[in-house]
Amino acid sequence: MKYTTFNQQSTNPLVEPMFFGNPVNVARYDQQKHQIFEKLIEKQISFFWRPEEVDVSKDRVDFQKLSEPEKHIFISNLKYQTLLDSVQGRSPNIAFLPIVSLPELETWVETWSFFETIHSRSYTHILRNLFADPSAVFEDIVLNEEIKRRATDISKYYDDLIFATQVWQTQGEGVHLVDGQTVTINQRELKKKLFLCMNSVNALEAIRFYVSFACTFAFAERELMEGNSKIIRLIARDEALHLSSTQHILNLWAKGKDDPEMASIAEECHDEARAIFMNAVEQEKQWATYLFQHGSMIGLNKDILCQYVEFIANHRMAAIGLDTPFEVKSNPLPWMNNYLNSDNVQVAPQESEISSYLVGQIDSEVSGDDFGDFDL
Amino acid sequence: MTSEISTSDVLPMKMDDLFIIHLDDQTRLACLKDKTLLESLEAHQVEVHFQCREGFCGACRTKLIEGQVDYLTDPLAFIDDDEILPCCCVAKSDLKLKLGG
Ligand code: FES
Ligand SMILES: [Fe+2]
Ligand SMILES: [Fe+2]
Repeated sequence: MKYTTFNQQSTNPLVEPMFFGNPVNVARYDQQKHQIFEKLIEKQISFFWRPEEVDVSKDRVDFQKLSEPEKHIFISNLKYQTLLDSVQGRSPNIAFLPIVSLPELETWVETWSFFETIHSRSYTHILRNLFADPSAVFEDIVLNEEIKRRATDISKYYDDLIFATQVWQTQGEGVHLVDGQTVTINQRELKKKLFLCMNSVNALEAIRFYVSFACTFAFAERELMEGNSKIIRLIARDEALHLSSTQHILNLWAKGKDDPEMASIAEECHDEARAIFMNAVEQEKQWATYLFQHGSMIGLNKDILCQYVEFIANHRMAAIGLDTPFEVKSNPLPWMNNYLNSDNVQVAPQESEISSYLVGQIDSEVSGDDFGDFDL
Repeated sequence: MTSEISTSDVLPMKMDDLFIIHLDDQTRLACLKDKTLLESLEAHQVEVHFQCREGFCGACRTKLIEGQVDYLTDPLAFIDDDEILPCCCVAKSDLKLKLGG
C-alpha cells in the first residue's frame, strides 16, 4: 500500500490497529484508542531538558585525575551510548511512522525520537568539554570492533522492517526481485518483522544502557564526573518512558488488545523474541568484560555489573511475559536507585548554568577585536 | 498548651487511617493512608524494588491479590490487570500482596 502523508479517506482511528491499518490523517488527540501513548507524550514533554543547562566544566578536572583504565571505561561508555542514541534518534521514525495508524502513537514515536536526539546532543556537550577536539572519539564509533558488533545487532531488525516496508509500499504484496534477491512480501511477514523489531527495541531500551549507567553513577558515588552523571540521570529518566512504551505495545499485542494477528504472531515468535532479549543480555555482559579489560574501577567490577544486568533483565523480561531466567533476587547495586529516582533528577538552578549559559556561549565566541569600535 | 489526648480522639483516627497489608500468612503490616504503599512497606523494612518512585518505570510492579488502591498519579508503566505500582498508590482497603515476582 502506497504511503500518503494525508489519507483523504475518512477513517476511524478508534478502531484502527496500532500498525498496518490506514495511514493517519488528522493529528487529533481529543480521543485515543490507546490512552497510554497520549499520557506518555505529556510526561515526556514535561521532562524537557537541554544539555547546556547542565554544567559539566568541573568534569574536565576530574577526568584528568582518572586512571587510564577508568578513562577507557568512561570514554568507551560514551561511545556506546552515542551509537545507541544515533540509532534511536532516527530509527523509530523511519521504521514505525510509515506503518503507524493511530495519531497518538504516531506523535509518541516522534516525541520519543526527538528526545533521543537531545541525548545525542548531550554527548557532544560532554565530550566538547573534555577534549578540545572530540573527533577521534566520534570517529572511533564506526571503527571500534566491540561497538560495531553491537551496532549490527541493534540495527538489523530495524533495517529488515524498513526494507520490507519500502518494497511493500512501492511494489505491493507478492514475490519481488530486488537487487538480484528474491523478496517475499505479505502482511504476515511484515507484521512478523515488526514484532521482532519491537522486541529488539524493547531490549535496547530495557538493558542496553544499564552497564554504562552503572559506571557513570559509580563515578558519581566517588564525587567524580558529576556533571556527566546529572546528564545521564536525565537520560535514564527518559529511557524509562521509552521502555514503558515498548512494553505497552508488546503487551497490547500479546493480550489480544490490538491486532488479533499480532497476538498469534507473538505466540509463534515467542522463542525468537526471547532469544533477542537473551542475546542483548549476553552482549551487555561482554561489554562489561571489554570495559574492565585494562582494570576495574573503585566500587564496581565485572562480576557485580553482570549480576546487575541479570537483575534488571529478570524484571524487564517479566514485564513482557517472559520467564525470569536468572538467579539473582536482590539488587546488587542498591545505590543505583538513588540516581534513577525521579525526585533527585531536577536540574538545580544553583548547580547549573541556566541563567549564564547563553552569556557564556556568547563570551567564548566574541573576540577582543569585535569590540574594536566600542568606547567603554 | 499541654495536649491531652483522649482515647476518643485517637481511636477513630486509627480506625480510619490504618489498613492492614497481608504479605503472607505470618506477616501483617499496618499501612498509613497518607503514605504511598511503597513508603508504608519501606517503613516496615520490607524490600520493594523501586527506581522512579513516580509510576513510570515499573520497577515496583507488585501483585495485588485482594483489596483496592487509589492512584495519586496516573501509572504510566505497564502493569497487568492484577498488578499495582506501590510507589504511586495508597491503600483504599486492607490489602493482600504478593511481593517479589
Ligand atoms: S518505582 Fe517506578 S513505577 Fe514505581
Ligand atoms: Fe536515549
Ligand atoms: Fe530511548
